Amino acid sequence: MKVLSLDTSTLMSTCAIIEDGNLLGEYSLNRDMSHSERLVPMIKSMLAELDVKLEDIDLYTVAIGPGSFTGLRIGAATIKGFAHVFNKPVVGVSTIEGLAYNMPYNEIVVPLLDARRNRVFTGIYSWEKEELTSIEKPFVEDIDILLEKLESYPSICFTGDGAKIYREKISERFGDRARFAKLGQEYCRAVSIAELGVKKYKNGDFQDFYSLVPEYLRMSQAERQKEERAEKNGN
Amino acid sequence: MGDDLIIKIDGLEETKKFGIKIGSLLSPKDILCLNGELGAGKTTMTKSIGLGLGVDDYITSPTFALINEYEGKYPVYHFDVYRLEAVDDLFDLGFDDYFFGNGVCIIEWAEKIEKLLPEERVIINISKGQKENERIVEIDGFGKSYERIVKELK
Repeated sequence: MKVLSLDTSTLMSTCAIIEDGNLLGEYSLNRDMSHSERLVPMIKSMLAELDVKLEDIDLYTVAIGPGSFTGLRIGAATIKGFAHVFNKPVVGVSTIEGLAYNMPYNEIVVPLLDARRNRVFTGIYSWEKEELTSIEKPFVEDIDILLEKLESYPSICFTGDGAKIYREKISERFGDRARFAKLGQEYCRAVSIAELGVKKYKNGDFQDFYSLVPEYLRMSQAERQKEERAEKNGN
Repeated sequence: MGDDLIIKIDGLEETKKFGIKIGSLLSPKDILCLNGELGAGKTTMTKSIGLGLGVDDYITSPTFALINEYEGKYPVYHFDVYRLEAVDDLFDLGFDDYFFGNGVCIIEWAEKIEKLLPEERVIINISKGQKENERIVEIDGFGKSYERIVKELK
């Protein structure tokens, strides 16, 4: 089974093709605001260099967020377009879970993606018998509140662009208890989305190109109003 | 916010000069807010700022498109948020990707969305003076770019 996978949740445009447990190819470029121009040519070039035709693809997987609003829309629209051509199934995979999947170590893994205004998109994961398990599913949180919350863990692996941005703050608080992803693991990888996507597909958890929607994880208007009121009251 | 700087501008030629000067002082990640009532000259000012940023394209009001993108020395994103009805509209347009991106953002009617803007920004309030083509320009803001601009204009 050939799987074509995309992740455009961050500045990284990444696409990959895997087949029956093998990685055929992965193509990633880290450029600002360029998904709309680069992504489809990247996929085209990867397919051509691998001699894979679009009709050979059996399954499409895509990172559905959270992440950059524009990036997520481009990723979802692109995968829907490809899946539509030969009416193939689509699997949406959490961007945060994808990042955690890059770090298969026996520790708590906490991906951090910059959500701006001192917030991060995050989640809490661990590994049990070769399986990534979520302790807390993706959520958006103020970085200081999140770090406070993580105090109960003896050691933590951080990854994602937020781990870079807040590295000093994290090190100050956790010292040797904190470990950080290396370059090969800290970015979104389409191959991780593909592998997680296949697992979901085998569990019957897939969608068609109509029903797939991104997961932006932003605050609802009600939540924002509540926060604004709290600010006004000086809390 | 910092100490306001108030400048009186007389006529279109001076507006153009002032805009070009401001444009030449902006750099990537800067956010420039333009406030002032209808007809105060926000779009006219933006055109001159665009010249200072090396934008060759003809800059038009993005009142209906909400965002226009230009290529100058840096990417230039020109917003007009007058028509926005709810803050949610902003999220639905992915504004954060621009506000925290690597271009220069020029935002007309920025006061309407103040809460969502990054703290570091330059604010220009334009109001009509006593003479027909006279404009009072008040510069306020916070951060390095604001300080740089005030220093250059003083």
